[in-house]
Amino acid sequence: MSTLTSTRRAHNQGAPASAAISMREVVKSYGRIRALDGLDLEVARGEVHGFLGPNGAGKSTTIRILLGILRHDSGTVRLLGEDPWSKAVPLHRRLAYVPGDVELWPGLTGGEAIDLFARLHGGVDTRRRDELIDAFDLDPRKKGRTYSKGNRQKVALISALASDVELLLLDEPTAGLDPLMEAVFQDCIREAKEAGRTVLLSSHILAQVEALADRVSIIRSGRIVETGTLSELRHLSRTTITVGLEHDVPALSEMSGVHDLVREGSRLHFSADTAQLPRIMRALGEHDVESLTATPPTLEQLLLRHYGKEE
Amino acid sequence: MNLLAAHTDDGDSPVHGGGATAPRSGRHHGAHERERGGRLGESSLAGLGHLLRFMLRRDRLWLPIWVLALSALTAYFANAIAVVMDSDSLQAMTVFAKNPVMALITGPGYGLDQVTIPRFIVGMYGVFLMIGSALMSILTVSRHTRAEEQTGRAEFVRAGVTGRHTQLIAALVLTVFMNVLLSAGMAAAFGFSQAEPESWSATVLFAVGIGAVGCVFAAVAAVTVQLSAFARAASSMAGAVLALGFVIRGIGDMSHVSGGSLDWLSWLSPFGWAQQTAPFTLDRWWPLLYAAGLFAALVVVAVVVQSRRDLGAGIVSERLGRSQAGPLLATPLGLALRLQGANLAWWSNSMLVMGVVFGSFTGAMDEGAAGMPPEILAIMGGRSGIVDGYLGYMALYFAIIVAAYAVIAAGGLRSEESSFHSEPVLATAVSRSGWLASWTAVTLVGAGWLMAMAGFGEGLGAAVSMNDWSLLWPTTLGHLAQTPSIWALLGFAYLLYGFAPRLMSLSWIVFGASAVLALFGGMMQLDDAVLDLSLFTHIGQYPAQDLSAEAVLWFVGIAVVLIGVGMVGFRRRDLVTA
Repeated sequence: MSTLTSTRRAHNQGAPASAAISMREVVKSYGRIRALDGLDLEVARGEVHGFLGPNGAGKSTTIRILLGILRHDSGTVRLLGEDPWSKAVPLHRRLAYVPGDVELWPGLTGGEAIDLFARLHGGVDTRRRDELIDAFDLDPRKKGRTYSKGNRQKVALISALASDVELLLLDEPTAGLDPLMEAVFQDCIREAKEAGRTVLLSSHILAQVEALADRVSIIRSGRIVETGTLSELRHLSRTTITVGLEHDVPALSEMSGVHDLVREGSRLHFSADTAQLPRIMRALGEHDVESLTATPPTLEQLLLRHYGKEE
Repeated sequence: MNLLAAHTDDGDSPVHGGGATAPRSGRHHGAHERERGGRLGESSLAGLGHLLRFMLRRDRLWLPIWVLALSALTAYFANAIAVVMDSDSLQAMTVFAKNPVMALITGPGYGLDQVTIPRFIVGMYGVFLMIGSALMSILTVSRHTRAEEQTGRAEFVRAGVTGRHTQLIAALVLTVFMNVLLSAGMAAAFGFSQAEPESWSATVLFAVGIGAVGCVFAAVAAVTVQLSAFARAASSMAGAVLALGFVIRGIGDMSHVSGGSLDWLSWLSPFGWAQQTAPFTLDRWWPLLYAAGLFAALVVVAVVVQSRRDLGAGIVSERLGRSQAGPLLATPLGLALRLQGANLAWWSNSMLVMGVVFGSFTGAMDEGAAGMPPEILAIMGGRSGIVDGYLGYMALYFAIIVAAYAVIAAGGLRSEESSFHSEPVLATAVSRSGWLASWTAVTLVGAGWLMAMAGFGEGLGAAVSMNDWSLLWPTTLGHLAQTPSIWALLGFAYLLYGFAPRLMSLSWIVFGASAVLALFGGMMQLDDAVLDLSLFTHIGQYPAQDLSAEAVLWFVGIAVVLIGVGMVGFRRRDLVTA
């Protein structure tokens, strides 16, 4: 993986084909607490990248470093081929950001805030803005202090989605939205992907990540513990299998890759390493299997495995 | 306190003892009926004891800080005056103290014609301690009531077994308790000081008067927090009542010492009631009955209004605004102007009005001078010397007020950052230096603008009252010329912002020390070297004194360097949120 990327980078330095986000061995400490502890993250151009992890794992810190709002202690960070700390302003013209905690100015209306952010970006596409205000069903005449959390989030989403940028950095962008608005959001992200934009989507809503993300990175305690496409991740994990079988299969209990084998009446339950599935199936094939169900790991299970205490 | 605990138990029992609910329900219903009438039914005060203990715990730092700081200030005034003043200098002070301008600022000055150290302390410093107790009370009430509602925490509390008015009444009980402690602390500080007051009852009267002002403003805040849905706006409204009370009694007291017919105005202000007790002179307690009456009336109003509104709602409702941004909101400078603009406009009006009011007393000063003994008049520079001296002194006075504005406005940048407002701005194509420079520019120009407004108002009032239009421009210039000292203070504030935003409140210490030295340093006969430590003693009180171009240039230079260095610091540090 690392060799592949470094050759790619050597080939097109600064060219559009380089990774949208490339972070290597990034460390960030607050006093004695290490928020990021050697983080590596690669996001290719044009992909929607799911960024998952428990609370406090370092997702927001990562995004703030990418924005040049926080300065990392060591390691290298490249955003669209540039250094996000020293080139913050030119880079910000090319990206839009939705924070996890959207706070608006109490005296400015939502419409004013949307226009302000768009103009500070360099321009406002009023048609696109009005379409989005309509789609998200926002009343732009209300003052910032009267909006609920969900409505504040809509303001930030609309101003980000209305701007013509290469990269969207979204930090739990839909935590306060209802399911209807969630659907609108997913449509917008698909449109953005079709338009060739890169999206870094930090989220807790697993269905959202499953629906949108091309690739996923899981962060835990300031490190990326898993990265890949969803099917790659599934491959690394276990499939739950239930077999209807009257007699025991001794070979199974000795086979590597079979775990937690138990009998319950006429059924055998176990979980299997997904990579070992072909061998297990062959072993089962010699017996009179009456029924068989295999459940691929859900994203929840994947995550719980990483979020939990086990390393 | 036992009584409160009994209320709590009553309120709790329907929930804890499930079976006991039915026989009690009739009574409970009755309480609900009573409550609807806006009075304090038992259930509307459920949980008072618990909540009070919780508030005390939350304020375990703030409460002692307020009480000890104000008591220490009393001790400082009492001891410093007693040590510094001998009987001759005390006598010399009486002319100054009976002066209408000093009456406007300090009070009616009872007993100053036969001055003693305690009378002088009561007359000159009492009002500042009252402002202290009033601010303490307003902030405490607002913090425990509307701020809780605004953040949604009150909803949690009310979802528990607490009554509709529990939070409000608990906050009031807490604040009255603070004022009682404060009065005790001040009485002790004053009674045991070098001032050696001859009567303990007068000492206690003085301290109780200060506590009474605090209690009245606690009740004022209890009403204003019902009106606005936002804690800051509610505190500002109560603060406006405070300012009004101060100005009304000032005009009344000024009239009192100059033998005018407006002295009844002093009786319309809580400050006036406390001062009319005249400790060590008349020693009368009955003016405090007015304070008690207003306190009770305002608490009733607050409870009635609270019964009629929803949790979290205000009485002043929110209007809809523009759906699209105006042309101003396109640059960081436009944003800074918009965010500081409303405040600046409010201050502009206040400075102009205050300037006109203070300026219009110039005529009275001039006439007062005509009645002075010629030798004293000669010391003060003749009649024109008194007028110029007054206008020059007011430039200093306004510079201190506007400096307070400037420190508050600079602190706004920090709260923008900590409340996640700066982050999305800096995530657009706005650089850090651009954002800091925009905010700073508005504050710097704003400070100059406010001084110009104050000076223009002052000059206008002086010109009309003296019928002499040649006073207008020199007065405006004299005020405007003080601006660089405010800029230097701002420079210090932004320096701290750039490197250590948490330490920004240190600029209040520089402000406070500079203000006290400039206002009272001369009176306390401090050394020039000490007076020079103040930011406000260098530029000169024009037109009475010459302006120092050197000082102006130095201050401008200091401001530029400090802001520049602060900007470098801001570009290098992490944003600090929440």
